[in-house]
Amino acid sequence: MNTVDFLNSREDLLSPGISACQGCMAELSLRVILKVLGEKTVLVVPPGCMAGAAVGGWNKSLGTKIPAAMPQLGNSASMLAGIKAAYDLVDPDVHCLAYAGDGGTADIGLQALSAAAERRDNIIYVCNDNEAYMNTGFQKSGTTPHGARTSTTPVGSVGRGKVNFKKDVPMMMAMQNTAYVATLTPAYMNDFVEKVQKAATIKDGLVYLHVLNPCPTGWGTKPENSIAYARAAVQSRYFLLYEYRNYEFTVSAPTKNIREPKDVTEFLQKQKRFAHLDEQDYEEVRRVVNSRWENLKKLAGL
Amino acid sequence: MTRIDALTGNECVAEAVRLCSPDIIAAYPITPQSVVVEVLASMKANGQLKSKIVDVESEHSSMSVVKGAAMLGKRVFTATAGQGLAYMYEPYFSMSTMRFPMVMTLACREMISPGTVWCGLQDALSVRDAGWMQIFCENNQEILDMVIQGYKIAENHDVLIPMNVCYDGFYLSHQTERVEIPDQEQVDAFLPPIDLPQYLDVNHPAIVDPNTVGSYLIRYREDHLKCMQTAKKVIREVNDEFAEKFGRNWGGLIGSYRLEDADYVLVTIGATTGAARVVVDAWREKGVKMGLLKIRAVRPFPEEEIAEALKGRKAYGVIDRSVCFGWNRGIIAMETFAALGKAGVCLPGLSFVGGLGGLDLRTEYVDKAAGMIVEAAKGAIPAGETFWMNEDFL
Repeated sequence: MNTVDFLNSREDLLSPGISACQGCMAELSLRVILKVLGEKTVLVVPPGCMAGAAVGGWNKSLGTKIPAAMPQLGNSASMLAGIKAAYDLVDPDVHCLAYAGDGGTADIGLQALSAAAERRDNIIYVCNDNEAYMNTGFQKSGTTPHGARTSTTPVGSVGRGKVNFKKDVPMMMAMQNTAYVATLTPAYMNDFVEKVQKAATIKDGLVYLHVLNPCPTGWGTKPENSIAYARAAVQSRYFLLYEYRNYEFTVSAPTKNIREPKDVTEFLQKQKRFAHLDEQDYEEVRRVVNSRWENLKKLAGL
Repeated sequence: MTRIDALTGNECVAEAVRLCSPDIIAAYPITPQSVVVEVLASMKANGQLKSKIVDVESEHSSMSVVKGAAMLGKRVFTATAGQGLAYMYEPYFSMSTMRFPMVMTLACREMISPGTVWCGLQDALSVRDAGWMQIFCENNQEILDMVIQGYKIAENHDVLIPMNVCYDGFYLSHQTERVEIPDQEQVDAFLPPIDLPQYLDVNHPAIVDPNTVGSYLIRYREDHLKCMQTAKKVIREVNDEFAEKFGRNWGGLIGSYRLEDADYVLVTIGATTGAARVVVDAWREKGVKMGLLKIRAVRPFPEEEIAEALKGRKAYGVIDRSVCFGWNRGIIAMETFAALGKAGVCLPGLSFVGGLGGLDLRTEYVDKAAGMIVEAAKGAIPAGETFWMNEDFL
């Protein structure tokens, strides 16, 4: 069955329609993940866009057709570890899923996440990476990229957006031998669905899925272009698609099959958060993007 | 058969936890509580403990793990002290306000700064308004007994509030005393299995702990506070049942010693009570009617019992191992003053602050405090004054 037919055959477990901003990829990604994992899933969603919109529910009704719980911002992984420990006594086959933002993952939740991976708690932890704290007004996070304007890294007569570079959380998780690590983006839905399906089969530890979700509201892009930006991020190698399991890196087809990578400006230009960047900044981004690709090639033996 | 052993306070916690057999334990070692975690791990390694242990990387995670497990209606346990409690504050408050029952022991420790790892009750008492029940113990047997009682009280469906069983770090956590350890059958007959719904059930989807409007939230708080008052009755009942079945009566919300006909009262909390008992005897031998009131429960606060116990006395003094910033007094002194004020009981009371940062609350100090209480009754010392049991006190 192809991906479209497969997804059509699965029950939609999230709020019908669109409950978040127009062009929101975070909600689409969550919807697909829930379709793949199915109704025997328990969801944990910390404060962020998806807690506020899709999952939190409306007018005393649920936002999901599966049970959900709201932890605090920094304890998604630890609270879910407790849920899983208890579910192991009740029904070990229930998927225990966290869907946390990049702030809740790369910043305040990183310690608890790393510990859960070390313990090999069998939970599925998804980082919805839209590259800033979008729900509360675009504050900088650890995964905000170099140069991006956010409300806490403003552009002014001196300031030029975020000074430092994006924290590479999936690589960190791979380096501590997390049971399964994969990077995903909704522009490549076959790859996306395959990775979530694989995640559902992992029983020997923590699954970490890092999803790049373009955010039109925070990035300053047109809602109808969200998928195009996700595709440009992959085609420019700004965002690398790969998997990690048992000390092996595998570069995923959409990234592996790139013949001529697009220039990073394909991704950066026309995003309002990068509007102040000049050629020197682009060159800096190219350097980092190339270094990361060279590094991944070495790790994957390409 | 009851087993008699010589155990530290920390070891007593572990023995009691083994007997209560929580489903999930998650605890992070911290001085002076570490031995609790070590002994539980060793019991698990030796096949003596059924509980699943989740070895966490911090106190924030220990409370988060047990909170997650509590969402499935499981019995859980953790333990901490001092900075660990401070680090845990976020999920700590949420655990109680979600009304998940559990027992968490605290080997009480002075709060930083300046740097210290030693005894003080500042850690537990600083969070007395975070929605938990808090019971303070005088000796190791009381610690062991209160962990067992704690689950029964917390899991009572009219209560459903978690409990801190608190004991002085080092003074009790590391001191070896004779204790009686009940056998499993005795505890099983006293403590029924936990009986709570599974809130996160894939067959009955619900959302747990979403953003809640104020009009609902205020009702949750009102109910929480009312149940805390109900807990007073349950604490007394469980105490009485325990006394009947195990032969040890700790008094419920308060304890007392030679209080019945006392003119002067030393009010204590925790391990300091031991020194105060010796001092009471010494003053009685001198022909002065000194008595002792031991505060066991700080939350819920036994205002009625305290007012009743102090009514008609000539004077009293409260010995605190903590400070109430902004009031220039100890915390239990402030709570006692408030209880008496509400009850309209008026008598001279003094506040003594000592034992901070592990300082020994020596019998000489307590003895001097007793003398000052006698003086306060005569009006020689103004009521409400605070005295610091530092090296210049004697």
